[in-house]
Amino acid sequence: MKPKETIGPTPAARAGKLALLTLPFLVGLFCVFLTFVPIGSIVGIEVAPAFALMAVYYWAAHQPETFPPYAVFAVGLLQDLLSAGPIGLWAFTYVVIYGVVQTQRLVFAGRVPLVLWTGFALTALLAGAIAWGVASLYYARVLPPGPVLLQLIVTVALFPIFATLFARVERILAPSI
Amino acid sequence: MQDSFSRPAPPILGVSNRVSLIFMVTLAVALLLLGRAETYVFDQARQVVTDLAAPVLELGSRPVAAGRRLVERTDEFAYVFDENERLRQENAELLTWKEKALKLQARLARYEALLNVQLDPSINYVTGRVIGDTGGPFVETFIVNLGHEHGVESGQAVVDSEGLIGRIVSSGERASRILLLTDLNSRVPVTIEPTRQRAVLSGDNTVWPKLEFLPAGSGVVPGDHVVTSGHGGLMPPGLPVGTVIQTENGDLRVQTFSNRNRLDMVRVLQYRFPMDVPEQNPPSKLTAPVPGEEGEEGRPSAAGQNGAFGGPAVRGSLAGAGGAGQ
Repeated sequence: MKPKETIGPTPAARAGKLALLTLPFLVGLFCVFLTFVPIGSIVGIEVAPAFALMAVYYWAAHQPETFPPYAVFAVGLLQDLLSAGPIGLWAFTYVVIYGVVQTQRLVFAGRVPLVLWTGFALTALLAGAIAWGVASLYYARVLPPGPVLLQLIVTVALFPIFATLFARVERILAPSI
Repeated sequence: MQDSFSRPAPPILGVSNRVSLIFMVTLAVALLLLGRAETYVFDQARQVVTDLAAPVLELGSRPVAAGRRLVERTDEFAYVFDENERLRQENAELLTWKEKALKLQARLARYEALLNVQLDPSINYVTGRVIGDTGGPFVETFIVNLGHEHGVESGQAVVDSEGLIGRIVSSGERASRILLLTDLNSRVPVTIEPTRQRAVLSGDNTVWPKLEFLPAGSGVVPGDHVVTSGHGGLMPPGLPVGTVIQTENGDLRVQTFSNRNRLDMVRVLQYRFPMDVPEQNPPSKLTAPVPGEEGEEGRPSAAGQNGAFGGPAVRGSLAGAGGAGQ
């Protein structure tokens, strides 16, 4: 038996590690705020890409232990509170998506960018369908699917850029996991 | 040595992970059901969060506004000569219109004085900037950086330089939410010019809101102008809204003058329904023009006799009343 190590990390190092571990969650919150910044108005289009969905997908596929279900729920809830839609809509959608992506984690283990992107396209489609279905039930009428589809297309198109950024955050995290 | 190479792969879904996942899904469903039944608490929570997030959103919207200005500037630069030529022509046309308008304004003031028209109180407004986008495909609301501290309250109409955008649906200390005309929940009473037909402009999350409760054979045709009717007292009458268009299946819808993709600076109108306007009795008699007196080109001089009801005086006093009430 190996003797147990007596010298642990200093409190400061431990705090630093803890701060690093919350980084994915902070990235998720940042993504929610980014959704509300009227970026589309620069070029005159009316879409708010679902940035938070990218974050939820990325961390669920790569390192779910750094982005636990309650963090996903909190990110969704913040988006619900900031938007005027049904409260719980995005919280529900993101948590379900998180669960579904986690069951398929082995597919993404190889980290092939194209696989990751295709996976995201399918996930986005599922997320759009869930959100659209729940919102339609909530408002008790069939909502026009056009805006959701447009949002999905833009979100999927922008995903590679954000995946690169997330990968960089993941690299910062790597030593502390 | 064991843990160096035979560390078990992380389970796809750990038990605790699965439990918390199920718990979170249940919580989200519970929130959805609760939110459907009880809106007050959630609306309050939402307003608090929006208020807290306002500084962050404001920070984020600044570079966006700068970027948009840059793009617009570049666009304008490309067309500067054509635009200049067009504006010159338009200016020439407008100058003749200005002459006509001035004459009509003078005549209207006389008629109003004669008929003792109750004028609308002047409307105060505050100008703010849109700092938050809709944030999702199911709602059409914006966040504006104005709140109670600027006198912004629920129900007030919001316009941009082109026309009506929507109305305030909730307001906090620093930030408020605008419900756009296109939102599912937006209903605005409107009048369609020139037939003076009344209808309700009803959003359905598409780009063009519907015209509802329009009687059959109303004579409304594509191209007619839509303005607010002021019914219900929330919005001042006569705000420009848009133009009637017809969809392929024959529905009448409205193309709004305001462009939601270009919203930046907006005005919140602090209109109060004129309920406490002082009573104005009609003049007891309309006297015939007396030649030599007043000398108003032989027009009836009722306006002169009831000096207190002359155009500018009425405007002044009513504006004062409106302002005091706010």
